[in-house]
Amino acid sequence: MNKKTPLYYVIAYTFLGAFALFNIVPIFYMIVGSFKTEQEYATSPFSLPEVLQFSNYAKAWDIANMDLYFINSLLITFASLMVTVLLGSLAAYFLSRFEFKLRGATYALFLLGMLIPIHATLIPIFMIMKNLSLLDTYLSLILPYTAFHLSLTIFILEGFMRTFPRDLEESGVMEGAGLYRIFWSIILPITRPAIATVVILNFIYNWNEYLFALVLISSESLKTLPLGIANFVGVETASLTLQMAALTIALVPIIIFYLLLQKQLVNGMVAGAVKG
Amino acid sequence: MHTLRNTKLAIFVGLLPSLIIYIGVAIIPILFSLYYSFFNWDGISPKIFIGFENFVDIFKDDIFWLSLKNNVVIMITGLIGQIPLGLALALLLNKGLKGNGFFRTVGFLPVVVSSVMVSLIWGMIYNTEYGFLNGILGVIGLESWQKNWLGDPDWSMLSISLAYIWQNCGLYMIIFLAALQNISSEVNEAAELDGARGLRKVFTITIPIIRPTILVTIIFSISNSFRVFDLIQILTGGGPAHQTEVMTIYMYNNAFVSRQFGYGSAVSILILLFSFIVVVIANRVGREKN
Repeated sequence: MNKKTPLYYVIAYTFLGAFALFNIVPIFYMIVGSFKTEQEYATSPFSLPEVLQFSNYAKAWDIANMDLYFINSLLITFASLMVTVLLGSLAAYFLSRFEFKLRGATYALFLLGMLIPIHATLIPIFMIMKNLSLLDTYLSLILPYTAFHLSLTIFILEGFMRTFPRDLEESGVMEGAGLYRIFWSIILPITRPAIATVVILNFIYNWNEYLFALVLISSESLKTLPLGIANFVGVETASLTLQMAALTIALVPIIIFYLLLQKQLVNGMVAGAVKG
Repeated sequence: MHTLRNTKLAIFVGLLPSLIIYIGVAIIPILFSLYYSFFNWDGISPKIFIGFENFVDIFKDDIFWLSLKNNVVIMITGLIGQIPLGLALALLLNKGLKGNGFFRTVGFLPVVVSSVMVSLIWGMIYNTEYGFLNGILGVIGLESWQKNWLGDPDWSMLSISLAYIWQNCGLYMIIFLAALQNISSEVNEAAELDGARGLRKVFTITIPIIRPTILVTIIFSISNSFRVFDLIQILTGGGPAHQTEVMTIYMYNNAFVSRQFGYGSAVSILILLFSFIVVVIANRVGREKN
């Protein structure tokens, strides 16, 4: 490694520091604001709160139906995630471990999904859900979330399963295990690292999704977190500190999730983004 | 051993559920969009076939051109704001500076936060009366610079672009970092033996090596710029007076606010078409230069 001049470090740290500030300040500003009284915020928006107003949180939690949104988001996120990963890993298994006539075409068809802007499908999906009487149900979100994330899921898992040596399944075959048995007992266990990545990616995507929810869900009782919180902020325009408290409540779990699973998530994002 | 027929059946059964959901919910709707685009239809009354009239009307609509122009603004923001910034950050972090992990964690944080949250946070920053930005300008004595960041037509697109950079820069940083860390140390050592240092090394050695990654991020960034919706929908709803409208908002408003499903479908076909064309062009230009 060649030696760096002190000037290099000054420039590097100034640049990185400015960038870090740029990223942290908006979130920090919001969290600090959420602990102030409305009046305190209006008169001195940059000072730290005199007393931490936890009542903002109790109020926001209550008025904004946060518990409901959390439960809906959890249910929809996990249901879509389970279906996507289960069906996706099975499809990836057959696509990666077997040769058959339509293998290439099927794989290409699945990959196409990564190029489709969901907006181009929004109106027909709305009509399909309406005609099937699924509009405004959990299923109306679970189906699109599953369909659109099968592509990336199959892509990542297929790439991973393909790297396994050819004779991996041999012992299973020797003992007379069926294909599904081999999938479940031999292939899936060693695919675990890639599955972890796929689970995290699916979780983030489903948890954050807004457009389908906006179009397909209308009942207050079925709203997901992004939809509910956007709605709350739109209605509760009078109290900024209450808005900030609600936003902080919604933000904290995803930040904790991120800090805990950072490494795997970043790897997954890179795998998905670079190849997708 | 399995008989061949059993294997075939097992493969078929294994792929079928994924294919049904995927084709039914992701592929067939595209064909339906194309079909709907030839009709005058509100989603309830019978459809009236009008051929290409929706497309003709779209091209005659100034608001459509405005929204296409704004898509280009977002595209340029991504290309000159996010990619070079992400690359510069990755180059700095690749050197193993102290605090590396911290900067990486903080840099990637906005990518994980939902675009709804990003929009709401930036909505507070840009708030005219109580916002962070106007507040800071007041504190440092630049009251004359305070403005209605999202409501002023001269500034609204710029304000949105800044939030867009904030949201996605970390993603490009991480992608570039991954590419840089894949460069073997031998290449670096050889370059240094040849006397390539500092910025010269970056431009003559490093960037050419990660060129394929740069091409992929460019294509990724372009296709993402056509998908922007949440950020603008929540920050401005496309206003003031359509000044921040992009094609996805134009589509949403026509279909789900004005209930013109045929017209909206025609717009969504154009979104698909434009993003496809630009990606193909970018891909071709990138390949030729290689």
